[in-house]
Amino acid sequence: MSAPAIDPVRTPVTASPAGKSAGKQRTTPARFDTALGWSDRPGLAWALRVLLCVLALGVFAAPFVTVFSGSFSEKASGSTLSFLPHHPSLLNFEVAGERGIWDYFGNSLVIAGGGLLLQLVVCTLAAYALARHKFRGQALILTLFMLTMMLPEEVIAIPLSLVLGHVPVIGLDLKGTVWGVILPLGAWGFSVMVLTEFMKDIPAEIEEAARIDGVGELRMLWQVILPLCKPALGVAGVLGFIMIWDQYLLPLIAAKDPTDYTVTVALSILRTDPEVGSGVVLAGAVIALIPSLIVYLLLQRSLVTGIAAGATKG
Amino acid sequence: MTATVTTPGPRRARFLSKKAVLPWLFLAPGLLLALVFKFLPMGKGVWLSFFDVRPFLGDQWVGLDNYTRVLTDHRFQDAIGHTLVLGIGMSLGGIVAGVLLALLLEGQARSLRIIRTAVFLPVVTATAVVGEMWRLMYYPTSDGLINSGLGLLGLGPVPYLDNPDTALWATMAMGIWMLAPYNMVIILAGLAGVDRSLYEAAAMDGVSLWQRLRHITLPAIRPALGIVLTLAAIRGLRVFTEVYVLTGGGPAGSTDVWMTRAYTLGFSRNDIGGASAASVLLLCVTLLLTVTVNYFRKRGDVR
Amino acid sequence: MRDRRRLAAALAISGLLFGTAACGSGSGSARAGDPNTLEVWTRSDPESAQTYKRVFAAFTKKTGIKIDYQPVMNFDQQLQSRASTKDLPDVMINDTALMGSYQAQGLLKPITPASISGHDEITAKSWSSTVGRDGRHYGIPYSRQAMTLFVRKDWREKLGLPQPKTWQDTLALAKAFATRDPDGDGKKDTYGMVVPGSAQNGYVAWWGASWLWQGGVRIIEKDGTGYRPAMDSAAALRTVTWMKNNLFCGDNGVIQPSALTSVTANTTNFQDGNAGMYLTGPYNISTFDKALGKDKYEVLPAPTGPAGNNDVLADGENVYFGAKTGKARLEQTLAAFLISPEGQTLAMTGDHQPVVRIPVNSTLDAAKVRDDPRWSVVQKAYETASVQFPNAPDFAPVKQDTADALNALFTYCGSDVEAGLKELNDTLAGDLKDQDLLK
Repeated sequence: MSAPAIDPVRTPVTASPAGKSAGKQRTTPARFDTALGWSDRPGLAWALRVLLCVLALGVFAAPFVTVFSGSFSEKASGSTLSFLPHHPSLLNFEVAGERGIWDYFGNSLVIAGGGLLLQLVVCTLAAYALARHKFRGQALILTLFMLTMMLPEEVIAIPLSLVLGHVPVIGLDLKGTVWGVILPLGAWGFSVMVLTEFMKDIPAEIEEAARIDGVGELRMLWQVILPLCKPALGVAGVLGFIMIWDQYLLPLIAAKDPTDYTVTVALSILRTDPEVGSGVVLAGAVIALIPSLIVYLLLQRSLVTGIAAGATKG
Repeated sequence: MTATVTTPGPRRARFLSKKAVLPWLFLAPGLLLALVFKFLPMGKGVWLSFFDVRPFLGDQWVGLDNYTRVLTDHRFQDAIGHTLVLGIGMSLGGIVAGVLLALLLEGQARSLRIIRTAVFLPVVTATAVVGEMWRLMYYPTSDGLINSGLGLLGLGPVPYLDNPDTALWATMAMGIWMLAPYNMVIILAGLAGVDRSLYEAAAMDGVSLWQRLRHITLPAIRPALGIVLTLAAIRGLRVFTEVYVLTGGGPAGSTDVWMTRAYTLGFSRNDIGGASAASVLLLCVTLLLTVTVNYFRKRGDVR
Repeated sequence: MRDRRRLAAALAISGLLFGTAACGSGSGSARAGDPNTLEVWTRSDPESAQTYKRVFAAFTKKTGIKIDYQPVMNFDQQLQSRASTKDLPDVMINDTALMGSYQAQGLLKPITPASISGHDEITAKSWSSTVGRDGRHYGIPYSRQAMTLFVRKDWREKLGLPQPKTWQDTLALAKAFATRDPDGDGKKDTYGMVVPGSAQNGYVAWWGASWLWQGGVRIIEKDGTGYRPAMDSAAALRTVTWMKNNLFCGDNGVIQPSALTSVTANTTNFQDGNAGMYLTGPYNISTFDKALGKDKYEVLPAPTGPAGNNDVLADGENVYFGAKTGKARLEQTLAAFLISPEGQTLAMTGDHQPVVRIPVNSTLDAAKVRDDPRWSVVQKAYETASVQFPNAPDFAPVKQDTADALNALFTYCGSDVEAGLKELNDTLAGDLKDQDLLK
């Protein structure tokens, strides 16, 4: 541990919550890769795992086949489920397109992209202070951040609408801009909590070593701490994106014109629109879930690639 | 938590002051955004709970009237029980199912990645659509998806949402189903932090699977479990969307929870003061619960 | 020190971003001072907003008065937040049911019908629905609708049954649809009637109101200058008991399964082709045309109930003037255009969703404007056999409490209807007392 751990990609750093250093350079068998010690060779345990996976898929994923099939059905029914589309066609997607779903989709992408970036930066900075610094009122500050999640948003809707129309002190009108949606999402207690918890677990020796080498605060955060809490960033990224994507009331409050709506708002409009059928709603739902799924696919590697595992592989 | 190296000598005083300012610089953006867009509106919301809200004519101070009205309303009283049952059942069920999913699906293989993504679908789908889907799965005749499955076993059909005795449990099942993959993601991140070499060492020592889970995995995923528990404390009693899209609180108010009541008060009955009071009450309980959970977590950490 | 500078740079950048946000906004607030511009709000989704835009464009072209039009989805939230800044929109178009609440909050300007040119083309019946608690008018009728009975004509003819004229006919037809396999697929998968029976947003009271009217029931009744609850009457007991025993607790399949938790948005059995009847509003006609086809179903007047009438629930939208906006003449000009044959016709036609269902202008014929004879059934129902919820009180709490009580009575088949209605009546008395309206 003498070398300063500045670039963990080149310099293998081991960090185990148990505090035990283990810098093994050889690959370990698969059964040491998981908590339950699943083996990747066919056998009784393997068969059991396959069976359980099928069960999990059946429970959690199979119902969605009906959503997909409904979205491609020319006449989807809202009162029965079917696993195969009736007269498969893209008609529902075309109707959803006529209702401007792609424009709303674009708004959503801008808001979710910008919002997530801001949220990650803001929450990472806050978590770094909470996890790696000692100061008075620490517990109170963390509680304050948690408080941001406890507010039923319907209750703050009217006061928030006033704030967005006229931001205190600077007096800006954020309504009708993407900032009206993005800024209120900047401080999210959940991300602060996740990042704080994981940052706390990084052994102090790593930080001390870097500090002796004269690494300053921002570089410490960016090059030492962050690479070591990739799973937490993955969690904050995926769940933060979904949280922003699913916002319904906030985009409505911040909108000045229907062209400011997001895809989540559009979906609820489609649901109550008597002119379109269930199939169009399902098509809208399928369109709306794709970005979240892509973000999950992209980030899930960081979710499961352990720091220690990454280190052992060099 | 000994994050910084204390340097001895004359530099110390300056260092301390820098040390004192730095964390606040890092906290500033978050606190500022929270203040303007969360706490300010929230303060106003709390303030409104003491008023008969008439924005144009001028709000009228009514003191604790809104609170007494909410607390003496028998529909709110009935909702407390449902909220506790649903909140606790969903949270615990969601945690257990989430941990099991994470343990089952942990790993690097591509097939696992695909399965994990598929299992994650309940989280990424619009809640309203999930609600519609479950309403159809719960269809009370033998044509319903779940009932036709029961039919194969020679059971059913169960009325699920149509019967006040089963509706709350049916709602809970959907809640767990939506929550489990969410928790799975957090637990997976915790599992990723476990030092693999400890598993190897444990295997050499001939440790049983249970001991391995108990002594290696569990301590390592404690932060993740803590997050999931805190989240449960925050969201458990605030359960709303699941009920709203599935039953709307019915039938006969059998799935009415605190927030659906507050929502009905605010939006169906235009009683904003009352809705604010109901929300403030819930906020206080949630805050208390969260602080308690965190207190016990800290004690666990020290131990 | 280097990180300090970096930190400062980062903060500067975020400040810059904030500033950019500021530049993006600020537009569109020039209208407030313009004396020749009216700010108009409607509770509309983007589709119906297109129709309104067309109407307002025609108005501006004709009069030169500019319209700053804002379609709002969460109308009441936005209105409350504007109200707290004491700056209301000039003109609002929204549900008839909201008038009592708005008036109580002081949001509306009283209206003299005679000041609106063309006021005499609106029937007295329509005008009477905009009278507030103090006897003055607070709204101008804009669009009306009444419920009608939608029936699967092909099913009915296949089973050789007549059009239902009474409650008994309707029940018999519902039973036949449920048991005699009208769709001919050999499966018992059809239901008699669609019911949005959830208490959420008061749906069961909305749907059930027509049945109550036909049973000779009123939820609250005018009594001098106030109101009194009327759900403890013998007629109410008879009607609710009949609904419970025959529709909700009767033979399987008379109404669709899961009716007790259904709202209109998830009650699609009729258009999906597995239910034979639906008592609902005419806005569904285009949906049913698309899903089922025009020839498959018929639009009928509601059946006659035990009180000997076939009254249905009517509702619609009014034009409201925001209090203290000081543009009275402009507002009156706009209202006159909106209720004129030209304005009403524009709002009933076009490529997008129509915003006027039954025109309030009595010189117009809905069936002719739309070139669709089925609309004359709706118009006739509105004109001759419809009753609105009382408009002067804030009806929202009354409707919600009625819905809660009805949903509970219909859920528990063993429940004591008389006791349940007595309890409801007491709750309603409390609601009226809260508004100082109880007599």
